[in-house]
Amino acid sequence: MTTNTDALKLGRQRYDIKDGEPLVQMKSITCRFGNLIANQNVDFDLARGEIHALLGENGAGKTTLMSILYGLYRPETGEIYVRGERANIKSPLDAMNHGIAMVHQHFLLTPPHTVTENIIVGLKSRKRIFLDTSNAERKIVELSKKYGLKVDPSAIVGNLSVGEQQRVEIIKALYRDIDILILDEPTSMLTPQEEESLFAALQSMVDQGLSIIFITHKLREVMAVSSRVTVLKNGILMGTVKTSDTNESDLARMMVGRSVVQQISGQRGGGGTESEVVAAQAKKSQAVLEIKNVSALNNSKILFLKDLSLELRKGEILGIAGVDGNGQSELAEVIAGLRKIQGGQIIMDGRATTNLSPREIREWGLAYIPEDRLNTGLILEYTIAQNLILDRWYKAPYSGKLFLNEQEMRKFAEKVIADFDVRTTGLEAQVRSMSGGNLQKVVLGRELSRNPKVLIAHNPTRGLDIGATEYIHKQLIKQRDSGVGVLLLSLDLDEVMSISDRIAVIYEGKIMAVTDNENADVHTIGLLMGGNVGKTGFQKTSGIVEKK
Amino acid sequence: MKVITLQRRSINFKSFIPFLSAGLAFVVGAIILYAAGVDPINAYQIMLKGAFGSIRGIADTLVKTTSLLLVGLAVAVAFKCRIWNIGAEGQLYMGALGAALIGITAIGAIPGLALIAVIAVGFAFGGSFGLIPAALKVKFGVNEIIVTVLLNFVVLLFISYLLHGPIKAPGFNPYTPEIFPASQLPIILPHTHLHAGIIIAALAAIAVYILLWKTKIGFEIRSVGANIKAARYAGMNVAKSTFVVMGVSGGLAGVAGAILVSGVQLQLLEGISPGYGFIGVIIALLGRQHPVGVAVVAFFFAALMSGSQVMYRTLGIPSAFADTLQALVLIFVLIGELFTRWKIKTKIIKESGSSAISVK
Repeated sequence: MTTNTDALKLGRQRYDIKDGEPLVQMKSITCRFGNLIANQNVDFDLARGEIHALLGENGAGKTTLMSILYGLYRPETGEIYVRGERANIKSPLDAMNHGIAMVHQHFLLTPPHTVTENIIVGLKSRKRIFLDTSNAERKIVELSKKYGLKVDPSAIVGNLSVGEQQRVEIIKALYRDIDILILDEPTSMLTPQEEESLFAALQSMVDQGLSIIFITHKLREVMAVSSRVTVLKNGILMGTVKTSDTNESDLARMMVGRSVVQQISGQRGGGGTESEVVAAQAKKSQAVLEIKNVSALNNSKILFLKDLSLELRKGEILGIAGVDGNGQSELAEVIAGLRKIQGGQIIMDGRATTNLSPREIREWGLAYIPEDRLNTGLILEYTIAQNLILDRWYKAPYSGKLFLNEQEMRKFAEKVIADFDVRTTGLEAQVRSMSGGNLQKVVLGRELSRNPKVLIAHNPTRGLDIGATEYIHKQLIKQRDSGVGVLLLSLDLDEVMSISDRIAVIYEGKIMAVTDNENADVHTIGLLMGGNVGKTGFQKTSGIVEKK
Repeated sequence: MKVITLQRRSINFKSFIPFLSAGLAFVVGAIILYAAGVDPINAYQIMLKGAFGSIRGIADTLVKTTSLLLVGLAVAVAFKCRIWNIGAEGQLYMGALGAALIGITAIGAIPGLALIAVIAVGFAFGGSFGLIPAALKVKFGVNEIIVTVLLNFVVLLFISYLLHGPIKAPGFNPYTPEIFPASQLPIILPHTHLHAGIIIAALAAIAVYILLWKTKIGFEIRSVGANIKAARYAGMNVAKSTFVVMGVSGGLAGVAGAILVSGVQLQLLEGISPGYGFIGVIIALLGRQHPVGVAVVAFFFAALMSGSQVMYRTLGIPSAFADTLQALVLIFVLIGELFTRWKIKTKIIKESGSSAISVK
């Protein structure tokens, strides 16, 4: 990624903290939620014209710290200075008045409204009753040209791609004449190409005098765009360093207290020689799941999967890369029998499972880690034991003819807790009180104990910290090594590239290409994820939407 | 710096807060009574005496508890599967119709069998009527709230038609002949109206508890109610749960109707229920969809109803006052729920950057 390295150099040229006092200073910030300490005595400062990365694992307190600066939370102790003056920021409005804006990970836009309407919402109009859209549009076009953030002011936001919506959010902030911009995990849903264009836009913003705080957990991004980096761990400040004075593995050590970069990337293709052999065998072994010309509707009853064909073999991890919303959920659901198929056929281990009921498909050998563990994978008001029998409550030994067998339920729960090292708040407690990683272990425990033939893992590590992510990857690899066909659908391209044996790219409900991991390169995959075959350019990436 | 926060309570206040809330509702009720020119303390005394002051009063309260408990359970079962059955009133009338049809025909004269038939047919009539909204919901995705509400009117008009024609007793009044003695529920407390229906209602509460919390189908029902996406994903049968739940819910309301015919009125007439089916919604909500909670609330509401009847007879306070009190109780208890789980806390925090906060 040459653009990134260019950006890096430019970023450092602008960086000069000695040039006057810091723009923003946060001193000794402490913030708690109940017993959870989100930030403890954290100091943070932002220099004029720099991109300052705020790095940490999920739950390290990055977003909390910035939400305090943006007036969403109030700290228990600590002081904030903006432009050298004590600032009492009680609400986002106060933050805006201090020239601070934040773009959240999940956009806060109104999909049926136009870009302009979304940008000017909440602002006073010079005309008293009517919206002053023409002036607003002019200003939006100006901003868009100035910073290289391409948007169409009259487009309906609901029709825009994620990248375009993000540009709208950024322009919405800039429209309010701010000069301090906070971006929360801005790249989590972008293709590599969209990411590059974002980085270029950020660079042009700092070149023109803005200052940016960039929240992320990706080391590569820190190295690519920032001039300084502040690392948080469990709500505690680990340090602030110049990006030029550090490297990815030092940062990783600061972030998690140990070096994990090598471990994660070392898993590609297996890690051990034994599993390499198995992986090699997998290439020759037969298909355990065949998807033949499958078509299906999405939730809006629009034909979304079009003639999709895919073959999953025994003992392999097939990673599906793609930008969110290109048919991953629909694909997982048709395999699991949760979505009706309009045309085509699905064959699982020699039997046509097309349009069988979810229970029949599960009984035949499917395990499925759903993308939304909180709302699909689990029932939060249930105990662990109840959640573990959600898929098998109807059969022995978990129940008799009429009644549930609570003793067996408890025994099974204890076994899964031991086997999967689940940290619980008690057998009788609702799982609601458990952490994300442990919740996913409960789902994993239930699904893997089915002894499946096929395992669908949809965003299995989303929102989890590095430790839990690593554990889940190991479990997926273990399943693969024992001969299960693992279909990994993930928005995290790094994840797909690091543990898959083969990689397929999904775009607009179609498989664009399938390749062995050894032959895959990020650039090509990125282009395919954006729907481009062979050509570069960002216009095509938004093509996802023009169809709707 | 002053910070106002909502804090989760550590101690479990759940048991007494609802009673405190209900007490506050009575305080507001007292203000209304006072404004109407009645001495509230006197009025409440009469009410309390009316509900509990005599054997007859207690018996009357228990008779009303029977109906309220059954409809409360009916609505609660459906709510547990997140199905909003607002049609308990109609299902109750269908059950009453079924009971009356048995009670005035030949089967109703056979001792032993007659009572079983009356209750069973009441359940069947109410239950099958509950299956209509279930079928529409499963097959066409029709919202069950609309269907159940509207079916109430259909039933009331249908019964009105029957009572003015086909099953009308000789004479001018629109009601059926009296049911055979073999179809009447026995009085279990001599010289009062207290009939064996209260036993049936208590058994129903136990049965509902076992059904929902101990059986396989109950687990499926509660899972569908708690999280339909998760239930579907895990391979559960949402349609089956919907049918079972609406059958049981309608059936329980039907039994309430059958008991009104065979234990209270001994015939079917218009207005046999003073809106029990609708009060059942409130009871299910306040009772947290749990049989024990529903039983407690049903008893409380029954006392309120029988007490306010006495209050009406003695002081001439309209019985609509009982409705007002019920509504006040609902509002206060729901607000009280919030403070059961959360408390408002104001903290004064020193503004210095000192690090006095320790871990945990």
